[in-house]
Amino acid sequence: MAGLNTRRFLGVSGLVAATIVSAAMLTLAQPASLTVLSRDGRKPLPLTSINNQDYVAVDDVNSAFGTTSREDRLAGGLTISLRGRSIVLTADQNVVSVSGRLVSLPSPPVRRDNRWFVPADFLPRALALILDTRLDLRRAARLLIVGDLRAPRVVARVDAGTTNVAVTFEVTPQTEARVTAQPGRLVVQFDADVLDLALPSLPPQTFLLGLTPGETPNSVVLTTGPRYATHRVTTTQADAGSARVTVDLLPAGTTDAPATTPATPAATVPDSRLVIPSQAPTTGLRTVVIDPGHGGDELGTQGAKGTLEKDITLSVARRLRTLIESRLGAKVFLTREDDRTLSLDDRSAFANNHQADVFLSIHANSAVRPSLKGAEVYFLTVERADAEARKRAGDNATALPALGGGSREIDLILWETAQARYLEQSSALAGFVEQSLAGQVEMSPRAVQQAPFRVLVGANMPAALVEIGYLSNAEQEAQLATGAYQDKVAQALLDALIKFRGFLEH
Amino acid sequence: MNIKLPRKLTARQWAAIGGTIVATLLFAWAVVTGLTRLLTTPAPGAATGEVPVATTPAPVDPAVPRIKATLYFASADGLQLVATEREVPLAEGFVAQARSILEAQLSAEAPAPLVSTIPKGATLRGVFISQRNEAFVDLDPAIKASHPGGSHQELMTVYTIVNALVTNLPNLQEVQILIGGQEVDTLAGHVDLRRPLRKNEALILSPTSTPGTPSPQ
Repeated sequence: MAGLNTRRFLGVSGLVAATIVSAAMLTLAQPASLTVLSRDGRKPLPLTSINNQDYVAVDDVNSAFGTTSREDRLAGGLTISLRGRSIVLTADQNVVSVSGRLVSLPSPPVRRDNRWFVPADFLPRALALILDTRLDLRRAARLLIVGDLRAPRVVARVDAGTTNVAVTFEVTPQTEARVTAQPGRLVVQFDADVLDLALPSLPPQTFLLGLTPGETPNSVVLTTGPRYATHRVTTTQADAGSARVTVDLLPAGTTDAPATTPATPAATVPDSRLVIPSQAPTTGLRTVVIDPGHGGDELGTQGAKGTLEKDITLSVARRLRTLIESRLGAKVFLTREDDRTLSLDDRSAFANNHQADVFLSIHANSAVRPSLKGAEVYFLTVERADAEARKRAGDNATALPALGGGSREIDLILWETAQARYLEQSSALAGFVEQSLAGQVEMSPRAVQQAPFRVLVGANMPAALVEIGYLSNAEQEAQLATGAYQDKVAQALLDALIKFRGFLEH
Repeated sequence: MNIKLPRKLTARQWAAIGGTIVATLLFAWAVVTGLTRLLTTPAPGAATGEVPVATTPAPVDPAVPRIKATLYFASADGLQLVATEREVPLAEGFVAQARSILEAQLSAEAPAPLVSTIPKGATLRGVFISQRNEAFVDLDPAIKASHPGGSHQELMTVYTIVNALVTNLPNLQEVQILIGGQEVDTLAGHVDLRRPLRKNEALILSPTSTPGTPSPQ
């Protein structure tokens, strides 16, 4: 009796263990899949991680590409064939034979659990030869493009405002796009065979209910919501080889609406054929870096109702980016795209690395008295007397031994002094920001100030820090959290940048 | 009881041995106390060399002589710093006086309608003065957690500390704030604390204007 119980117990626990192991194997075995893009559309090809390399199973390859495979157990090999051509693989050998030609792989085929796995590079290097077509493996996007397809990379972004929602597509290489209004949706069709598509998850809002790949492999569908009435399309040249298509979804009553009448659900109305304007890029202000203050563990300051500075700054930065991209045609980079911790030096280094022409750090303020309110703008203080004293003391010059004896003094540009060279321009920038903000929002009694702010110190370009309002003031906390106020601030900052561009070009 | 000594000592010899022992003890005592005094009491004007100060709190005994010092508080509207005369304990030596002023500034209740710019519970760990007459003010890390943040409030807190030292101790030109004994980037994400800071006059309400009204920039 006892023996039977033990045996039964062992059997049960064995089953449980087996289940856990197979569950673990399942989760381990399916980290992701490769999307195969062809004229027929897209289909997934599961990826398996073996020794930290991406592998695909040969039986999956067979069903995806119509090949057949036959195992030679005696030789420990596998033959994959299609229309009389064949690839011969040997387990644990980095070299495969393709119709008699040797092709090397980054890692050997693996035989595991009665299945054969080949590294993802097998597809373009070996399989493409017997398919007699091009296979383009784009690792970062986990895409396999079959044949000579025009497959531009399309990255979509959604910026939600209170009075509109902007969907922006970054298209590389630049490709014509056509927006068609259909009942309940907009279809964006690109002049391509397939799209290497990256779609964001949607924030909840009432203009746009969905952003999904279209029925044809070259289109994207925007499912419109109840507040949507009309739309506007703008296209700009973003970079040498890429274009930016922005679809603004607008509510009823917008004045500069396009000629389309999407309210009539009669038929498909193609409304605009977009041509990329080939205007020369402006010289003065090509790249703008916007720094949404704080983020991640660093919350910044906090309002009495719990509004966090880091959230407000990111939201304003995103709105400003959309405005600059559509109105100024400059490249815009945010130091952080999401809620993450970033050191102050990394923020200015980011601007330096992107060779920004201007750097704007966005913050929300706090005071010991809740009555204080209004926006402020700062540029860097450089303590001249101090800098001169250091120079006299020879701190800025370094004596290096020279050839032939003696030494030579070398002037080094220190990180600490990077911003010092741009003080005049930064001062002008701060002035324009103050002017423009004053037209849109309430200003603090001390609107333009200088301060030794760390984030400005290392910036090797004109730079300013904007405090868009006091979270310690109840009225302003409520304002700062609204899209309307954030849009006003973004508009003012755009106006300031336009003025600053004029200043740089004059 | 007979203790056999190798040689019988005379009374004079006994006296000589006793005298030597007493003299040695006296000398040792003098050396130890003298050294302790030298090490613990900073000589007046001990601005040369880095002199750490013992971390005992400043005495609050009413019998201790006091001097007038300028402390800083936020104006009624929170916008600027207002210089205010306060009595602080007189301390022996430059570094000890710096410490006494800072302790008063950190713990002082602001006279209404002014407000303190220092977050509650902020404490001083130490003060050091370098050979170049830069003061290093080491604050307890608790100040980081209790600071409400915001550029303006951070500027007010930092320059309350810097201005209080530089205004009262004219030998000082620059003050660097350390937190937990270490150099830090900032207190609350804005003001660069990796370099010594000078007195900030722009943030101080000019005496001619009434408190609470901003002075023209």
